[in-house]
Amino acid sequence: MMNTKTHSLENMPPQPQLEGHTTLPLGGESQLLLEHRALRRNAILLAMLALSSIAFLGMGSMVLSPLQVIQALLGQGSELNQFIIQHLRLERLLAAIFTGAAFSLAGCLMQTLARNRLATPGIIGIDNAAMAFAVSSIVSTGISLAPSAMALAGAATATALAFGLAGSSGTRGYRFIVAGIGIGAIAGALTQLMLSQVDIDTANAAYPWTVGSLSARSSSMVYALGIGLLISLIACLIWARRFALLPFSDQVITGLGEQIKKIRVAALSLSVLLTGLAVAVAGPVGLVALVGPELARAMSGYRGIPLIGSAIAGAFIMVVADLVGRTLLSPIELPVGIVTSIVGAPYLIWILVRRSPRN
Amino acid sequence: MASIMQKNKQTLLQTDPLDTSLSANNLSLKHGKAHIIDNLDVALPAGKVTAIVGPNGCGKSTLLNGLSRVHMPSGGEVLLNGNNIHRVPSKEVARYLALLPQDTSAPDGISVAELIRFGRHPHQSLMQQWAMDDQQAIAYALAAADLNELKDRQLDTLSGGQRQRAWIAMSIAQETPLLLLDEPTSALDLGHQIEVFELIRHLSQEGKTIAMVVHDLPSACRYADHIIAMKGGKIITQGPPKDVMTKALVRELYGIECDLIEDPMTGSPILINIKRVKA
Repeated sequence: MMNTKTHSLENMPPQPQLEGHTTLPLGGESQLLLEHRALRRNAILLAMLALSSIAFLGMGSMVLSPLQVIQALLGQGSELNQFIIQHLRLERLLAAIFTGAAFSLAGCLMQTLARNRLATPGIIGIDNAAMAFAVSSIVSTGISLAPSAMALAGAATATALAFGLAGSSGTRGYRFIVAGIGIGAIAGALTQLMLSQVDIDTANAAYPWTVGSLSARSSSMVYALGIGLLISLIACLIWARRFALLPFSDQVITGLGEQIKKIRVAALSLSVLLTGLAVAVAGPVGLVALVGPELARAMSGYRGIPLIGSAIAGAFIMVVADLVGRTLLSPIELPVGIVTSIVGAPYLIWILVRRSPRN
Repeated sequence: MASIMQKNKQTLLQTDPLDTSLSANNLSLKHGKAHIIDNLDVALPAGKVTAIVGPNGCGKSTLLNGLSRVHMPSGGEVLLNGNNIHRVPSKEVARYLALLPQDTSAPDGISVAELIRFGRHPHQSLMQQWAMDDQQAIAYALAAADLNELKDRQLDTLSGGQRQRAWIAMSIAQETPLLLLDEPTSALDLGHQIEVFELIRHLSQEGKTIAMVVHDLPSACRYADHIIAMKGGKIITQGPPKDVMTKALVRELYGIECDLIEDPMTGSPILINIKRVKA
């Protein structure tokens, strides 16, 4: 195989090389640069996601083997199995994958923007504000699609407020984070206040929003999130080169010919869009935004901003967390937000402690 | 503007660096409401090393940021090859002008080679991520800054001088005829200062037009061809070090008395017998 390959390459012009990378010629003067470490990391994460997804589809009140799961997905096997997989469990799996990827990608963008690993949408109050807006729409109207739009509006409002209160320091510096924490606290209190003022049935309907759960999702919101996530992933691929400049100072970014404001607005908008849509599906499961990017980073060391890696890692974490939540105390279901907190928080501490002594 | 748009990166390397000019016309720069620089005219001599000197707060760094389009002027204009620098697409400017600022924060754990690769950013695009030009420019930058043995080291494990060389290598990789440096040696000990200044001289001999903000007056005299002395946002005097460096200028800039002698080896002025002027 090597022989035929070298033979066919003889007639081609020399291709540019870079250690640890593959250049992918696209014809003419165009080429893509693929980094081996990032590819390997993403492949491993995808495999982990695939395995956990099969387990997710197989586990439940009726346990199916991995083979049965795959058959049912392909439209084979018994009709009961197909019904369970395709109608009962698949949408929940998609909801887990989409929300995990969205939270984690939003977290990675926000961390990069603020140059602070603590600055995830959950911590700077975007989750809580999205939740407060969504709950307000449930307790007052009860229209099924409204919470999605309201969550987005809440996310945007919280970001605008945090940005405004941060003053001249913008998204960099502690003021943005502190202002966000304050806004998050206010939004959380408002949510509790609203829930305490309505009758018990409405409060029950709104409750899953406040802890983070995949059991109260609506199909239309899951699809809205799926579309938003797809658009965001494409935007991230196109803008990856620019986002990679964000850790540098303003002068360096300008010196390299980019407009800082445009890059910041793009990163902030994507982060808000993803957080708002994800909260509309699952409520505030903000810890995924903190743990997902850390997992992606831990698997690659520094090599750019792990946007795609964060998305896959977040999806994996969410799938595993919801699987644990559904099966651990079955038939009682633990909300996924509680599982991510119980499992995710110690994991996050372990990663930070393990990584702190740099060589 | 059209002319510069047509000079794309294919012709940049062939452009005689002496043809690239950077100047300011009636330039005014403000920080908030404070006027730092008012109606200033300046032109960088082509192919030479220019040192901008002056006391703290005299507007040296602000001028450099204005010239490099980081700081938006409140009046007047900065001209790159005769074009208003803010009217030319920023990516286009970045192929003519590289800037090494004082704030050199970088991503955690980045290696020297990875940092230098960022210098190629203005020459790359979504569909052109790693061309033969890029490979050659990186190889040249690594060799020019003598970093081949350090290229896989993490930036934060290097000494101050090595790190500054890595940053300069990033600007070399940018392949621009103009290079602006803001206090490139401010945090370095004497040995590392010389290391950086000699690299700057070397780049000048290769044909680059260089301007740098420098605090140390003797170093400015020794390594620059042209001195711009600033105070209170104005240029007091400019010219070759031997011509502009006088006792009176030193007194005006820094409020100190001194004597000037000629370095017997290089002929550049040296300050001796330095005393504070009694108020």
